[in-house]
Amino acid sequence: MPHHIDCDVVVIGGGPAGMASALSAWNHGARKIFILERNDYLGGILNQCIHPGFGLQVFGEELTGPEYAARYIDQLAKTSIEVMTETTVLDLTPNKKITAVNPEGVWEFYSESVILSMGCREKTRGMIFIPGFRPAGIYTAGLAQYLVNVEGYLPGKKVVILGSGDIGLIMARRLTLEGVKVEAVVEVRPSLSGLIRNYVQCLLDFELPLLLSHTVTNIFGKERVEGVEISRVDQSWQPIPGTERLLNCDTLLLSVGLLPENEISRKAGVSLCHFSHGPFVDESFSTDLDGIYACGNVASVFDLVDYVTLVSQKAGQTAAEYRDKKPIKYQLNPGSGVGLVIPQRVRQVDNGWLFVRPDQSFRDGKVQFRTQGKVFDKKRVAVCRPSEMIRYDLKNIHWPEEGGEVIVEIIGNPIEGI
Amino acid sequence: MKKAYDVIIIGGGVVGCAIAWFLSHFDLKILLLERELDVCCGVSKANTGILHSRSYLTPGTVKGELHQRALSWFPEIEKELDFHPTVTGALTVAFNQDDLNYLKSIKKIGKYDDAEILSPQESRILEPNLSDRIVATYYDPHAAVVSPFRLTLAFAEGAALNGVKFHFDRSVGGFDQQGKKIIVHTPNENYEASYVVNATGLSSVKIAQKSGDRVPDLSAFKGEYFLLDKESQGLVKKILYPIPNSVSKGILVSPTPEGNILAGPNFESSCADDTSTTPQGLNEVKAGAQKLVPQFPFNQTIQIFAGIRPTLPERDFLIFVSKKYPGLIHLCGIESPGLTASPGIAEYVGELLVQQGLSLKNKDQIIFRKAFPVFHDCDWEKREELIAQDPDWGQIVCRCEEVTIAEVKYALRMNPPARTMDGLKRRIRVTAGRCQGSFCQMHLPSIVMNLLNIGIQDLLKSDKNSNLFVGETKKVVNAHATPH
Ligand SMILES: Cc1cc2nc3c(=O)[nH]c(=O)nc-3n(C[C@H](O)[C@H](O)[C@H](O)COP(=O)(O)OP(=O)(O)OC[C@H]3O[C@@H](n4cnc5c(N)ncnc54)[C@H](O)[C@@H]3O)c2cc1C
Ligand SMILES: Cc1cc2nc3c(=O)[nH]c(=O)nc-3n(C[C@H](O)[C@H](O)[C@H](O)COP(=O)(O)OP(=O)(O)OC[C@H]3O[C@@H](n4cnc5c(N)ncnc54)[C@H](O)[C@@H]3O)c2cc1C
Repeated sequence: MPHHIDCDVVVIGGGPAGMASALSAWNHGARKIFILERNDYLGGILNQCIHPGFGLQVFGEELTGPEYAARYIDQLAKTSIEVMTETTVLDLTPNKKITAVNPEGVWEFYSESVILSMGCREKTRGMIFIPGFRPAGIYTAGLAQYLVNVEGYLPGKKVVILGSGDIGLIMARRLTLEGVKVEAVVEVRPSLSGLIRNYVQCLLDFELPLLLSHTVTNIFGKERVEGVEISRVDQSWQPIPGTERLLNCDTLLLSVGLLPENEISRKAGVSLCHFSHGPFVDESFSTDLDGIYACGNVASVFDLVDYVTLVSQKAGQTAAEYRDKKPIKYQLNPGSGVGLVIPQRVRQVDNGWLFVRPDQSFRDGKVQFRTQGKVFDKKRVAVCRPSEMIRYDLKNIHWPEEGGEVIVEIIGNPIEGI
Repeated sequence: MKKAYDVIIIGGGVVGCAIAWFLSHFDLKILLLERELDVCCGVSKANTGILHSRSYLTPGTVKGELHQRALSWFPEIEKELDFHPTVTGALTVAFNQDDLNYLKSIKKIGKYDDAEILSPQESRILEPNLSDRIVATYYDPHAAVVSPFRLTLAFAEGAALNGVKFHFDRSVGGFDQQGKKIIVHTPNENYEASYVVNATGLSSVKIAQKSGDRVPDLSAFKGEYFLLDKESQGLVKKILYPIPNSVSKGILVSPTPEGNILAGPNFESSCADDTSTTPQGLNEVKAGAQKLVPQFPFNQTIQIFAGIRPTLPERDFLIFVSKKYPGLIHLCGIESPGLTASPGIAEYVGELLVQQGLSLKNKDQIIFRKAFPVFHDCDWEKREELIAQDPDWGQIVCRCEEVTIAEVKYALRMNPPARTMDGLKRRIRVTAGRCQGSFCQMHLPSIVMNLLNIGIQDLLKSDKNSNLFVGETKKVVNAHATPH
């Protein structure tokens, strides 16, 4: 027989989202709480992020990833929240039965509330159709970050990094510090994807080249990477024939995007948003299934762990209180210039946030809110980038009396260059 | 001193392994030599994985004859090797009157009572995502898909269980005659055998020519593929074949036994070692797949890859006894349906060897291969039972394919064992899922290094020079230890 457990809250995934939501549920009165984590440690992705820059919003100081995680691990130790590591959740049903395995056997949890916090995964080479050979030496940047920072393995001596998002930029610096030659950071967009701060501190300070409007169009080497072909791209990101050039390298790192990890959500039948690739959530991070919540990168990839913590606390609170929900009043959808909005559903505007991710970089822009063709609010943004979500307090938006579909769009001057 | 064998098989593709397994039923000392570090590294690793049914026989050819033999034998082989083909059935799709005539012709070849020509409506009830421009389909319920790795490894493991030895990293360069024996040269060592089988896929023509036999040159034709995430499962439930063209079966769409969807292959002139994908090739495959399934979700692609067909001008298998070495048999031009025909080829090679004087004496006992459990495919009761036997079954290393440590250990200890990351992938599917290893490769390197007791410099993706890492990161130095 499987081990059988009845409880108030089960949190799937023990990264920053899982830890913050469990603690918040505890602080709001839930008592029988379990965190199920597949790894043999808590903290999720934070453990491999040994650079500083975490916690400015939540703690008002700069921490490294492991330090940030440690704060929550310490707080957990002061509660009776049960943490089960080396425990992988394999199934979730709509009526909140969770099945997990670990070396002790099969576990079934029957819980009032379930919080999804499984994080995200990286896009791979096949997903972006880079042609060529399939030798050793092609890594996603996050995997390389783990292997270098946690395991202490060096993936190569000469690398090309595809993608100028923050993980790509940070890995460029990290590998340079290890004596690895970074040949170039190649970016398909006409503008930088990551934070300016990371561009300055990770590329400029080390004189590493950034090639905008370029992409990798071929991979050479049968056994180990021997080089990559890069090409200039046109406005629709199509390679321009005749612009090919060879970069010699033994490693290609791909930092080409993250995707929320929703296998479990899908098994439960939680409906997923085409834009965020995570569940549709409301301002308390409830999914459309009663008693199931989603927070952190499983809901939508957040670039800042501080935001992950904020939204997860909200999810934990609601999961603990588990009261009747008001009907959905506004349904939010991204319009032009916007990649995604989170939450996609708003019931009450007095409490909570709205996160908006631009789909490209703009200068002198404004974020507009429209319903039935009419703009009901607009907010200025001096500069915005896909790497930084714009955050609003819901109550600071002038919502119309009547509910309905709301389009969020950004108008501005596209940035070309850094 | 040279080691002497009754039979040496060169090449550990599906064909070489099938031959090894077949001959392992007899009282013989058998060795298989493979250039790479594992079996299934050549043509057999990148193909469509279809067990083409009788409807796809090519009457009057060697291919057709051996294909037919294999099909009638498979049910029995399955009992002995437990390799689980998945019978999906197939629809061959007609878009015009000529196509329809072709359907009628293959119905005659197949001679299945339960195969039939379906109207567009009937076809689309079976496969709702099929194009609405079709005029008819031919439904053959017997076509099956199989993992080419699983089939090759089942033959190899079955052979090893019954005494066949495998030596890897042995690239055969040539032969010598010594009395009645053939000396097989490799850079590492020489071997001696009474009989030798050249089953080296893309290299077999070159090796045959080197041994003094006249064989027409081989042409290499590439086929490229898209492999979709399991999220796309159900997009098609059967193999969808187009009408074949003059050079190949055409670009088809097929489910895989694991629940992914495969589209491909095209047919483009290439060279034997060029397994790279190309934008042109991929676009061709895209168009071909969309013709059958207009809504084909390419955005769910997790991998693109290419395989190479070893084709002769006649487009048939050429299996013959060497003029110079009476004990040497060459297998050339083993292209599609070589995977399906492999046991038929093996039996035929056995017959040729007997003609050349080999005596086949049945062993008293044959050990049947039992497939190792696949955690992902077990029900909860079975999973509990496994974990109770061994806690390693409760440790999942690969989240996408739900592979456990118990399976990793098995893959490293089975015979022939996995020695590389790709070897693990082909045996137990770690890194084969939607994340393509970006999660499990976090932990796998150290797990494998520990279990095999090897260092970081010995960790390989597939080939000898495919090192995963170049070394370790800098170490922290105690500042006080370096005074000025
Ligand atoms: C490679 C990478 C680098 C990053 N670098 C930075 C950075 O420098 N600065 C920054 O602010 N943000 C960074 N981020 C963003 C970072 O992901 C978030 O800040 C934060 O870690 C997300 O928290 P999370 O809890 O949602 O996800 P994660 O940290 O990914 O945690 C999810 C946890 O769930 C577990 N889990 C998943 N599925 C299951 C299951 N089925 N059963 C049991 N457990 C499961 C996982 O093992 C993991 O521990 C980075 C993200 C990535 C992917
Ligand atoms: C694109 C494509 C699609 C296909 N689809 C199907 C299908 O759906 N159904 C089907 O039935 N068939 C299919 N086939 C055909 C099938 O894949 C092949 O016929 C079959 O895999 C050939 O196996 P093999 O053992 O002869 O060759 P290989 O698998 O290439 O094995 C030969 C082995 O010999 C080794 N070797 C080479 N030289 C030496 C040397 N000098 N010394 C030692 N070892 C050496 C190689 O490393 C290799 O491992 C397809 C083929 C292709 C290319």
